[in-house]
Amino acid sequence: MKGPQVSIVVSDLTMRFPVYGVDAKSLKKSLAVVTVGGRLGSSLTGATEVTALSKVNIKLKAGDRLGLIGHNGSGKTTLLRALSGAYEPDEGQIEIHGQIASLLDLNLGIDASATGYDNIRLRGRIAGLSAREIEDKLEEIGDFTGLGPFLAMPLKTYSAGMQARLAFAVATAVDADVLLMDEWIAVGDAQFQKIAHKRLLSLMERAGILVLASHDIDLIRLYCNKVMVMKGGVASAVTSVKNLDDLLADA
Amino acid sequence: MQTSEHMLRTGRHGTLHEFGMAFADLKASTKRIDLAWSLAWHDIVSRYRGSILGPFWITLSMGLMVLGMGFLYAEIFKVPIQEYMPFVALGIVFWGVIVGVVTEGCDTFVHASGMLSQTSLPMFTFVWRTVLRNLITLAHHLVIVVVVLIWFGYWKVANLPMAVLGLALLMLNVSWVSMAVGIASARFRDVPQIVGSIMQFAMFMTPIFWQPGRMSGGRAHALLVLNPFFHMIDGIRTPLMGGQSGSGTYPILALLAVLGWAGAFTAFALTRRRIVHYL
Repeated sequence: MKGPQVSIVVSDLTMRFPVYGVDAKSLKKSLAVVTVGGRLGSSLTGATEVTALSKVNIKLKAGDRLGLIGHNGSGKTTLLRALSGAYEPDEGQIEIHGQIASLLDLNLGIDASATGYDNIRLRGRIAGLSAREIEDKLEEIGDFTGLGPFLAMPLKTYSAGMQARLAFAVATAVDADVLLMDEWIAVGDAQFQKIAHKRLLSLMERAGILVLASHDIDLIRLYCNKVMVMKGGVASAVTSVKNLDDLLADA
Repeated sequence: MQTSEHMLRTGRHGTLHEFGMAFADLKASTKRIDLAWSLAWHDIVSRYRGSILGPFWITLSMGLMVLGMGFLYAEIFKVPIQEYMPFVALGIVFWGVIVGVVTEGCDTFVHASGMLSQTSLPMFTFVWRTVLRNLITLAHHLVIVVVVLIWFGYWKVANLPMAVLGLALLMLNVSWVSMAVGIASARFRDVPQIVGSIMQFAMFMTPIFWQPGRMSGGRAHALLVLNPFFHMIDGIRTPLMGGQSGSGTYPILALLAVLGWAGAFTAFALTRRRIVHYL
């Protein structure tokens, strides 16, 4: 599904996290409560529920680039993970048309003792490429990383920036319609920022959707045409990036 | 492709919906079984990276154990070596699969936390990863089985189809156990220790080193009939040695697989949303 049909519709999304205390993970303590006739309910599981997102509504169509702004713990990453399909909503609904690629964690599928090439294969498989597709794209991805001979070296010899290059190259090699990014993209050096920038622009040309979480207002201005401010799990309405200053003034 | 073209996630809509979603997860994982295979293969490669013999190191140590125990216990039990050596060899190799799938099952979801928390990969993929990884290991250990069967001449009487059926039933059973302990271990971090102890205990309670015929009452002894691991081993070892498994062996294994999968799948359906938060 390419082109104009790509869309994200999030309605009344509420996410609650059970925080399982260290204690709660011990079976004995759970059993002990039962055997002494302790009260059932939240005290039994020791899980305090934290509402990470409450009643979030988003509607995005092809060509939208949404910037998520908010303090630490405001729910940006949770929202991205919910959009990636990893977290199931407790209430509400998420509907996404289009192929999703998420670049949330640099270390996804990383095996530090394997070579750069092996890690490209591994990440590519996880991202949904078939073995053949990866072999076809291996050279292109390798070129894009700019790591050259380092690709044959184990990943543990890489710096964080080099790892970021690798991860970004693989994730964007999938012809994704929806790209979910956390702000780690900023780790690369200036030269990498430039090629990453080019890739992101080409993604936008393909009329995909980008959702980018960042503290960096300039980065948001650069890539996004829409913004949403999050505060304690409550999201503002999605508005044009032109209103960003007003939003920040309110926040 | 898994990164689906259309994704719909909703809040709870009752238990039936949860079962539907769990079933969709299972279906998606079988569609992408090649991913589970790649991950399993990668696990093996990375576990033995830089080692010359790779998984054959385990085969070698198993082989040594078979040789040592074969000679020693044949002497102690006063059993002819050509009967005892293959017996203990097959027992050790297939017990290795059971232990491997079950104990590594404890890590199935815990080790996949990175992938589970940022992709929509089916959770069953990781169950198959554990199972397939152990099948790859077993393939290495089959060297021992082949050598022993040829050396002692059992290849002439071995009932291969029955043994394959036995292996299939064994895998069906250990995989639901593997998934169940995987879920439990994600929630309670004591479970891997408990599972480890139980499996060690089970190894001594199961006729791997000692022959079932030496029990009073033979195979009908309650300790054997009630021990599912005995049936798993018996369903493979006996036909490979040209014998007849107990008449109840295959039906019991089949029944256990059905009941076990029903239970494990129910547990999965009910906890599926939460597993990622346990991690």
